[in-house]
Amino acid sequence: MDTQFLVSLSIILATFALYIGIAIYNKAKATSDFYVAGRGVPPIFNGMAIGADWMSAASFIGMAGTIMLLGYDGLAYIMGWTGGYLLLTFLLAPQLRKYGRYTVPDFIGDRFDSHTARVIAAICTIIISFTYSIGQLSGSGVVIGRLFEIDAKVGTMIGVVLIAFYAAFGGMKGITWTQVAQYIILIIAYLIPVIFMSLQLTGNPMPWISYGELVGKMGELDRELGISEYFAPFTNGTKWQFLALMFTLMAGTAGLPHVIVRFYTVSTMKAARWSGAWALLFIGLLYLSAPAYSAFSRFILMTKVAGSKITELPAWTKTWVDTGKLQVADGNGDGVLQWSELIISNDIVVMATPEIANLGMFVIGLVAAGAMAAALSTAGGLMIAISSSFAHDIYYRVLKPNATEKKRLSVARWSIVLATLFAGLIALNPPGAITQIVAWAFALATGTFFPALVLGVWWKRSNSKGVIAGLLVGLGVTLAYIFAAKYGGFTILGIIDTGAGVFGAIAAFTANIVVSLMTPAPSQKIQDEVMDLRYPEQMVYKNGDVWMNDDGPKSV
Amino acid sequence: MKKIDKKVADSYFREKTRNMIIYFIVWFLVSYGVVLLAEPLSEFTINGFPFHYFMGAQGAVITFIILLFVNAKLGDAIDRKYGIDEEKNRQISSGKVLDH
Repeated sequence: MDTQFLVSLSIILATFALYIGIAIYNKAKATSDFYVAGRGVPPIFNGMAIGADWMSAASFIGMAGTIMLLGYDGLAYIMGWTGGYLLLTFLLAPQLRKYGRYTVPDFIGDRFDSHTARVIAAICTIIISFTYSIGQLSGSGVVIGRLFEIDAKVGTMIGVVLIAFYAAFGGMKGITWTQVAQYIILIIAYLIPVIFMSLQLTGNPMPWISYGELVGKMGELDRELGISEYFAPFTNGTKWQFLALMFTLMAGTAGLPHVIVRFYTVSTMKAARWSGAWALLFIGLLYLSAPAYSAFSRFILMTKVAGSKITELPAWTKTWVDTGKLQVADGNGDGVLQWSELIISNDIVVMATPEIANLGMFVIGLVAAGAMAAALSTAGGLMIAISSSFAHDIYYRVLKPNATEKKRLSVARWSIVLATLFAGLIALNPPGAITQIVAWAFALATGTFFPALVLGVWWKRSNSKGVIAGLLVGLGVTLAYIFAAKYGGFTILGIIDTGAGVFGAIAAFTANIVVSLMTPAPSQKIQDEVMDLRYPEQMVYKNGDVWMNDDGPKSV
Repeated sequence: MKKIDKKVADSYFREKTRNMIIYFIVWFLVSYGVVLLAEPLSEFTINGFPFHYFMGAQGAVITFIILLFVNAKLGDAIDRKYGIDEEKNRQISSGKVLDH
């Protein structure tokens, strides 16, 4: 056991103790608390919790590496995963908050007055969140496995036990405050190495300002090596793939059930607006730093590692070569490691760079703790989304409307435990790379919930048959395109499986609109309820007139 | 409960929607617009970055954050202008928690 192991272990255990402590302290008592935290979380903290919920293993561990390897084309992830918050905050979050339901399937079921739509939406929620959580669990497995030098499978199992524990016993309320703590840990863990590297390489402690000149310098290095420049656009895919991926990530953001449900935890439409703004500010801190992280890592690898003698490589190379994620073969046998002979997997860039830059044991341990926070916090939110879809939307609203609150809470907890175990089982042998799985989850949300919610909120004529057609067609087209592009080599305009959401969304909007227009309009009551979403809580829309409610809840 | 003039209610919705459309135009230009014109825009540099790279890595994200705060702030101002009381909103929406 070396000192690094002990340092990392203590940091991780200390942060875990903090999360579990908060979860136990807030142990949920009533169902309303369990799902939506009693609806009283202040916007700034809700913003942090959304940030932690949002930034997963893919953002924390995978994104900087992806940008390092893809160059400009990787920036589709930066713009896509931040720009979606505008769609969410302008088009959906405040309106859904005013409608006032517990979950996304609940909104769809009541807005369209259809149990069929409710059940389809619940199943879509489960598919999307489950797909997403497989990526998180296998991410946490990689971190734990690498850190403790145990098999990644054992690491995954440790992650499963932790998630099941605090998601099942804390509920959303426990999770909200746990996630605030997780956000703080993960953002510190991400910023410290970037700031240190910036000081090391440029003498400037502001990485966001200092890395511009390195980007330019790397362009020159690339030209000397005769490879395409780091910042050259569309070298790894067509312009259409860039646009399609960016759209899929944006619309998926607005359609992800575990993110939307966060906006049910605030008190009013105004609070929903502010929560969205704070959330993107906190998320933006990491997303603005990720390209700096990539640039510093690439610069260090190009100038300090490439060009050294193969026999004199630093110690960190050995541990990472052993994981199979790094290759340093002296292809031309000249005894020197060239840039082209260094092959690094995008999943290890964030984890390995602190070692490469020699930032010290504390920082390395902190990065591992931050990566765990990212994976666990997102997985926790996903598990709540899955359990509420099952326990609330399917079990309570459809199967057993007379179930007691105690019974429903126990069904919710058991569904978390079972879903976590099942996702963990699949994560032992994941069906694809982590980022790939996550991108599929976004494509599915873009093809199903984004059109259904936008039309449900903004178009009163959309009816139950339309939404059912839209959800099914969107799901089918998205899945078909993912499989056709990935396994059949079928592409349109060079758009590959990660951009599939564009086609799903177009098909779903079309199906929803065409079928709605061909079938009778929804009842007057439902149309009034949709019109009502245009106004703040105090204004009430009824029979074509708007009323100001000055007397509080009694007269509603 | 008192009835609001139809014109007043409509203009509340119109003001909100008009702002939203402006935000979305800016949103589109800084992200999709810059990507569509990435090649010609790469001729310019800003703070050492080629312009298209700067927008993708920083410019677009900062614009998004600013737009969201502008929306939150202007949204509050519009609410005030139409006499919306946030305290009443809170009471009404806590009273609207569904009974299930």
